[in-house]
Amino acid sequence: MRPATMVFTACMISAVLSGTARADTTLTVATAGDQNMVDYINQYLGPKFEQTHPGVHVRAIGTGPGDAGSLAIDQKLTAESKSGAATWDIDVCVIHQRGAAQMVPEGLLAKYRDQVDTSKLVTSAKANNALGTDVAGYVLPMFDSQVAIAYNPDVVKQPPHSFAELVDWVKKNPKQFGYNGIKGGMAGIGFVMGWVQAFGGIGDRLDNGPYEDSDKAKIDAALASLKEFNRTAVITPGNAGTLDMLNRGEISMGAVWADMFYDWQKDGRLSPDLKLVLPSPGLPGQPMYYAIPAKAAQPALARQFIELATSPEVQAQGIVERFNWYPGIDAQYVQAKLDPKIWNHLFSDITPQDLKADAKPFPISPYFTAILNAYERDVSQ
Amino acid sequence: MSATFPSEAPRSAWPIRRLTGADPWGLLLLAPSLLLLLALFGVPAVYSVVGAFADKDGKPSLAHFRIAFGVYGHDVFFTAWLVTLSVLVIAAGAVLIGGYLILGSNRTAVRLLAWLYRWPLFVPMVCAAQMMRSFLARNGMLNNALEAADVLTPMHAVSLLDWRGVLITFVWKQLPFVTLMVAGAMAALDRSMIEAARDLGAGRLRVLLGVVLPLVRGPLLVACVLTFVTLMSVLSVPIMLTADSPTMITVDMAYRINTFGDYGTADALGVISYAMTMLVGWIYLRHAARERVLAP
Repeated sequence: MRPATMVFTACMISAVLSGTARADTTLTVATAGDQNMVDYINQYLGPKFEQTHPGVHVRAIGTGPGDAGSLAIDQKLTAESKSGAATWDIDVCVIHQRGAAQMVPEGLLAKYRDQVDTSKLVTSAKANNALGTDVAGYVLPMFDSQVAIAYNPDVVKQPPHSFAELVDWVKKNPKQFGYNGIKGGMAGIGFVMGWVQAFGGIGDRLDNGPYEDSDKAKIDAALASLKEFNRTAVITPGNAGTLDMLNRGEISMGAVWADMFYDWQKDGRLSPDLKLVLPSPGLPGQPMYYAIPAKAAQPALARQFIELATSPEVQAQGIVERFNWYPGIDAQYVQAKLDPKIWNHLFSDITPQDLKADAKPFPISPYFTAILNAYERDVSQ
Repeated sequence: MSATFPSEAPRSAWPIRRLTGADPWGLLLLAPSLLLLLALFGVPAVYSVVGAFADKDGKPSLAHFRIAFGVYGHDVFFTAWLVTLSVLVIAAGAVLIGGYLILGSNRTAVRLLAWLYRWPLFVPMVCAAQMMRSFLARNGMLNNALEAADVLTPMHAVSLLDWRGVLITFVWKQLPFVTLMVAGAMAALDRSMIEAARDLGAGRLRVLLGVVLPLVRGPLLVACVLTFVTLMSVLSVPIMLTADSPTMITVDMAYRINTFGDYGTADALGVISYAMTMLVGWIYLRHAARERVLAP
């Protein structure tokens, strides 16, 4: 983190914070991610919280998509921490796994989970471990998202249920499978990580560690086969680019984010005939976390906000019904609150059993970095 | 009754004027923009250059440049090649359009072209990229139109979403800017020279290349330098139109920061980008200085 960037980020966020009209009490929620994250808080969660908390105004600030959005929150809190301020400007932050893995060891987050009742509804390992870093107690998952393979059933009669089947299919159908490499978004990165999981022979160490330097040879071998695979695949321009190409019939299969896929179908931007499959040994997904900064001005109010956000009702109506995300809390608590039609739609292609077996986390940081560096060095060139 | 305007006060009242000879009110008016420039561009630029040549502990190092050239060397050359090619195509297009505007004989076509060519100026780069994404795709609007006109068969349709798409977008977006400058300079020329050349039997292309072009070389060069600098900094077009590799170094910079938080390598790529634009600026300055020496 560079001083100039930190100061600039702090100035920009402070400018936004000071420019808004104040209610009696303002709860500031900074969220990484796309505009839909800000919309979710401003249009749905914020008003819901304000109804039960008269005099409280919820204000959402978007810090940008991807890990860079989490990094901006990290930089802001680091700047406030270094300034020695008694309380910090952000009350609740919504961050990616990489952000949590960085901010917990830096001492920027509060250990609040035991003080929130809904934490009993979360048993996922992702709530305790973020890319190999122990974050137990500091975060609660807002939602879970999953990379999967979208396909056109008119062309793909038998979707591949394993990476080996996928390789066979692509050999027989060249230039009909697409993914977006590693610079166009996380769906492509997820596919590359899934490939190394399938063909690297590193096993559970990829997700749980410990990192071994000798595995670099295994990563290189797996990526050599990916380079060969790429000759018959299409590298698409971005996460949205893959969906666009599927929709225009330019490819018949591609790696996509499941929530984006369902979102586009709901909006009519994607053919309703397209389907999803999750091949074994799996593809990664990642949650976004609710966290409370260590020196939040209103920690009690922040905990109440997160309690509402992780309640079964809000997870059902807000997370699943409105945004097609997988719930952050355990699915059984959410299913009871949902119309079976909506539940079945979300889990018809990829069943809860598929998710249990083949939904992987992203590899721990040293493997993640080693795989991306090797990809750039050996596959991109 | 007479009022004394502060700038009319005795010189001795303004030490800064004694020292620099500059009007203090002028300096005051200049101060906000100068301070903003220093704070938002000067300071980050200095940090970037320092960061490029320092390792994680702040010690002098060329490690970031080793990654920049080792991993992204092909992207550096790709960027220089693609931007240079775009500028050359834009310059040729601008000269042709500007030339037709002053030499064209069909008044309706001239008026239509003069009205039409400016439009892309008002379209932001990111919107141009989004339009081209669906226009240039394999089953996009361009190929569909060509197939409907029996010029292309679906079997032969290819996607232009690679360097060709970036080139087409850059040319479409920047051509009006260069044309505006070149056509303005052409319109200001003394028409008697053009008439004389036409009277002596020179064709329109000959007049354009032999008479008009040498006279607008200066403005054309300025427009090309500004376009080169603009295109070097575009992120949206290559990130939305091209896939992984090769791509422009702006995409690599964003990737290093967003994925690894690696400002050092991004800084090194930024310094390489500065070096390329400075080289182009130096060529322009040398040319301008030579013209000044040669001028009577």
